[in-house]
Parts: sequence; C-alpha cells; structure tokens
Amino acid sequence: MNILLLLPSLIIIILTFFIPIFRYTWLSFHSSSVITRLNEIPNNGANWFRLFEDNRFWQDAFQTIRFSSISVGLELVLGIVIAIVLNKELKNRGLIRTLSLLPWALPTTVMALGWRWIFNSPYGFIERFLIYFTKDPINILGEPSITWLATVVGDVWKTTPFIALILLAGMQSIPYNLYEAFDLEGGKPFKALFKITLPLIEPYLIISILFRTAQAFGVFDLIQVMTGGGPAGSTESLGVYAYLNAMRFLDFGYSSTIMIATFIILIIYSITITLALKYLIKTLSLI
Amino acid sequence: MLNKVLLITIVSISSSLFSALKASEKIETINILMPAPFADSTKGLIKKFNDIKKGEVKVRVTRGPRETESVSDLAISSLILNKSPYDIILIDVTWLPKYAAAGWLEPFQNSFINRSWGLLAKGAQIGNKYKGKIYRWPLVADMGLLYWRKDLMKQAPTSPKELIDISLDLKTKKLVEYGFVWQGKQYEGLSCFFIEILEGFGGEWIGKNSEISLHKNNSIEAVMWMNELIKSGASPKAVTTFTETESLQVFESGKAAFMRNWPYAWAELQKSNLRDKVGVTTMVATKHGKSTSTQGSWGFSVIRGSKRKNQSFQLIEYLTSADSQKELFINYGYTPTMKSVLNNKELINSYPIIQTLNEALDKSITRPVVPYYAQLSDILQRSLSTVLTKETNIKSTMKEATRKMNNVISSYGYKE
Repeated sequence: MNILLLLPSLIIIILTFFIPIFRYTWLSFHSSSVITRLNEIPNNGANWFRLFEDNRFWQDAFQTIRFSSISVGLELVLGIVIAIVLNKELKNRGLIRTLSLLPWALPTTVMALGWRWIFNSPYGFIERFLIYFTKDPINILGEPSITWLATVVGDVWKTTPFIALILLAGMQSIPYNLYEAFDLEGGKPFKALFKITLPLIEPYLIISILFRTAQAFGVFDLIQVMTGGGPAGSTESLGVYAYLNAMRFLDFGYSSTIMIATFIILIIYSITITLALKYLIKTLSLI
Repeated sequence: MLNKVLLITIVSISSSLFSALKASEKIETINILMPAPFADSTKGLIKKFNDIKKGEVKVRVTRGPRETESVSDLAISSLILNKSPYDIILIDVTWLPKYAAAGWLEPFQNSFINRSWGLLAKGAQIGNKYKGKIYRWPLVADMGLLYWRKDLMKQAPTSPKELIDISLDLKTKKLVEYGFVWQGKQYEGLSCFFIEILEGFGGEWIGKNSEISLHKNNSIEAVMWMNELIKSGASPKAVTTFTETESLQVFESGKAAFMRNWPYAWAELQKSNLRDKVGVTTMVATKHGKSTSTQGSWGFSVIRGSKRKNQSFQLIEYLTSADSQKELFINYGYTPTMKSVLNNKELINSYPIIQTLNEALDKSITRPVVPYYAQLSDILQRSLSTVLTKETNIKSTMKEATRKMNNVISSYGYKE
C-alpha cells in the first residue's frame, strides 16, 4: 500500500530522469549523425575515446567549473548578506522582499540581452563609465581573459535572489531566543553568524548550492545570448558545446557523450563542494 | 405540420453541414515555416494565393523566431521526428547540404525546373543544389556589400591598402570616429566577411582536391590584413563584438566611413540622415584576388514525406514569381533573383540601387556546399576570433585550424 502511494512520483522521476539518462548513455555508445543518416549504429565507444582526446571538451569543462564555482560562490556570500537584511524588522519588508526577487523572475534571454547592451562597446553604460579611468575602451565582451567575468556578473545578478530566498526561509526557522541567550552569555553579535546562523541553516545552504551548481553547470541561454561562446571560444560552456554538436553539427552521438560526461563531472563536483562547505561551516563555528 | 417543418429543417441543416464537411475535406492545408520577418513580408502574397486557390488549398504560415539559428533549431527539432508538421521550410543557404544529406528534403520536379531555372540570375542559381539535384528555390538573393560614405570621399576604395589609408586619413582629420566597421564577433557573420577578404587576397577555403587551404600564403595574408584593420586603428577594437546590428548602428550614426553589411542595411539607411550620402559596392581586393560578395540567400525547400507536394511546388512558384519579387523588392528591399526583374528598366529608373545589387549578385560566391559546413565554419570562427582578440601567431593558428578542418573532413569519410 505504501509503495502504491509513492507510485505517481516514481513514475514522474522515471519518465523525466532515468529514461533520458539511460537513452543518452545508450546513444553515447552509438554513431548518430549526418554520416549515418541519423541511424544509430554502435561504434564500440569511439565517442568516448574522442572525448578524452578532445581539447575543446576539457577547455569547456574547465570554463564551466570556473564559471560555476565563482558565480555560485559569489551568489552564496551575497545571498547570505541579503537574507540577513531581509530577515530584519524593516518597514515595507514585504515590498522589499518582492522587489529583491525581480531579477530571478526575468527570462534569462531577456536579461542576457540587457547585459550584452550594458557591456557593449562603445555605447554600453559600463564602458562609458570606465573610459574616465582607462582612456582606451576596455571592450569587455571582446577580451578573452575578462569576458567570462561579465557572464558571471549576469548570472550572479539574476540568481542571487533565489539563494537569498531559500536562506531567508532557513533563517526564519531559527528561534530568536538562541540569539538572546548568546547575547546574555556575552557573545559578540558578529560571532552569532558563525556559531548560530550558519550551522543552523546548513541544510538550506547545501540545498541552494546543489540547485545552483546543477543549473550553473548546464548554463546555456546566458552564454549563447551574451557572447555566443566567444571571443576565441573563451566563454563556451559544456552546455553550449553539446548544443552545437546536436543542433548545428547534427552529431547526436557525440552530443550525448558530452552530456553524460558533464553529468558525471557534475556529480563529482557536487559531492566535493558539499563536503567542503560542511567542513568550512564547522571550522568557522569553532573560531 | 409542425413535424414536417421540423423534419425539413433537420434534413436541410444536416445536408448543408454534410456538404460543408465534404468541402473542407477537399481543402488541403499547406503548412510553411518562415523566420518572422519573412512571414510578415509575405503576408500579402500568401493572402492573394489563398484567394486564388479558394476552396482548393489553404496556406498556413508558422511565424518562426527572428534569429536565423533559432529558426534552424525549430526546423531541425521538427525534422528529426521524421514527421514534420511542415510541407515547406524557408531555409538559409548554409543549411541545405546538411538537410539534404540527412534526407529531409524533396528534390524539385523536372517540370518546375525546366520552366523556371533559366529565369534565375546566375548568382541566384548557386547554393540550391546538393549532389547535382535542386533542393531549394531562392525567394530572396542576399550578398555581402561594402557601404561607403559618398560625402567623405570621391570614390570607393578598391584595394585593401586604400581602404585602410582612407580610414586612417578620415580619422586623423576627425571627420569620423571609426574607419571601417564589420562583423568581428565569433559567429557565422565573421565567416561570411572573411570569405570576401580571402577571395580578395586570392586565397581559398577549400581548394582543389577538396583540401583545406587556409594555411597557404594568400590566406594568411588575408587574416593578417583583418588583424591589421584593428591594430592600425582603421577599425575599432570593439569590432570583435560586432554583429550586423552593431555595425549598422555605428555606421548609421555617421561615426564610420565604411561598413560591411547585407542589402537590408540599404533599406534601413534610406530612413536615416545618411540617405543620400551612402554608396554601395563589393569588397576590396588585391591584384591577385577578386572582389566578391558572400551569398546569404533564403529559399524554399519542400520537406520529404509531405502529402501536398504538388500544391507546395505551386505555392513556391507563385511566391517566387516575377510579380511577387517586384512587390517584395519595392516594399521590403528584398533583392530579386530573376533576370527579368533585375534588368527591368522601369524598376532601375526608380531604384538605381538594383543595378549595384545585380552586379554584386553576379560576383557572389557560396560558402562551401558540404554537410559538415557548420563544423568547418565553427573552427574558422574560433580561430579568427583568437587571432583578432589575442596576441597569437597567425600562421600557426591557421595551420592548426586547417588540421582540425581536415580531421572533420576525413571523419566524414568522403570528400566533395
């Protein structure tokens, strides 16, 4: 009987999660492209051998990890700060909370176009502002060493509210008398953050990090619209590379291989980052 | 009595319903997918066709996305299923070999070809065939053009050196802020511009025996010149982030002396202050090369498996007829593809630009017609973007690009 109650969600999970993963894994061991007229022909793991030798894949993997860790890291720090502020008794708190959620509610394509124009050279706001300091225009979206930071800015701006919202929910579950007791015992307010708030919202931190990391790993629309993977391929993510292989090159076999490899890297990365976060929170609480 | 009236009413209603049903069974619906701008501009023509064929055929247009590649995504997603809801798709010139190789397209009927192929201008004939068969019929010709400011110089430059010299001179005199703006972002537009420069320097992308020739001297010179445009200051550094939109924006504001763009820019410029100050020609070239323009046309393809092939071919013939082309040119600035329209005296008198377009079309060349074009172009874009935005050795970068492209070709196991 109990199992029966689980059935609806089980079916959904199988349909949306296991079947696609199984299908892509299966496809990653087949050739399916224009050459095979899109027929699926087993190729003894040729896609995987190709992947290991594909510099572009590893470069994109590095870029994706760099993008994810920096943007999720920044989002976490900003999210904690914003959640603390929103948790205070403020005038018009409801309004401020709603407003702070707005960037998250915008479609990524729209906001990415907005950022593309903000970073535009020579007309964009940021270039216009920086010209007072640098004399020559920086050309942010055309400078391979810094363009990826512009995409981080876009991502942080959009998704920090999501983390702040989850953390705010976590902070509201902390009984206020804990802080009062800490205060009575002579604890400094600053230390309450490390000794009470962070350890108690740890599950929320981990959930938000996992959600965001999974999303950031699959980043596609932001990059596609803001830079198209350029300049010099410097901002190309694994998602963009998989898309190129499937939709532009019609190489579905290799595209599936990239997706499954991304999935594996994501699992390893998520476990590492969760353990690191737990360790960090523990260390901070002992200071 | 009442019963009789009721009976007659029921019988008449049901019979009229039945006949209406029968009529609607007869009416075939042709589904056609077009990018939004084309769906909008052909609205009038489609309505006329529907009126002519009333009771027989009805055309239903799906207004696709604006952006070229998004249309491709939509088209491919429907074609992969092998049960495309569309009978006709308006496709870009570079998609054709890929779609044809995947077996998605229906070759054009001989009767149609015999009737109309000879009416097309030479430049409009290219980019429609794959392995000897015609799979696409051009709706609009499109080719890269060099726009120049008539008020700032007596005549357009013809050599690469002249173009840089004039740009720098006008910049020093503070007549313009930038010299030459073009499409330097890492995307398809960069490949289009590069082909014109490459031909201008006498280089080639795919040489005889289907071998990549981007590592040869003429090709390297072409890349060096593109780099020189930015290094010398003839083009702004920001050009490496420019698509057609940004180029036109800068040129339209009067800040640049030259621009590389498509014919649509001409129609846009007619609405601006620069209306009478802009001339149009094809790309500069050295003595060893020739002035060319990259072909970027759109055309109709019938999808294999369509149950309304005959009606689809009729519709294509109507939409690409001389009258339709005239209408599309006058109202939307679409470059015609038929000789009779391009050489129409009346049209030339009212729109002298059509002669320039005709000349450019005559010089136009197509991008490599191979099913793996997207891969080759992707490698090219990345390499050029690297050269333009980083300090790199041009020779070794192009050599590496050549090697990667040859790998793609050999993985396909055949050459074309």
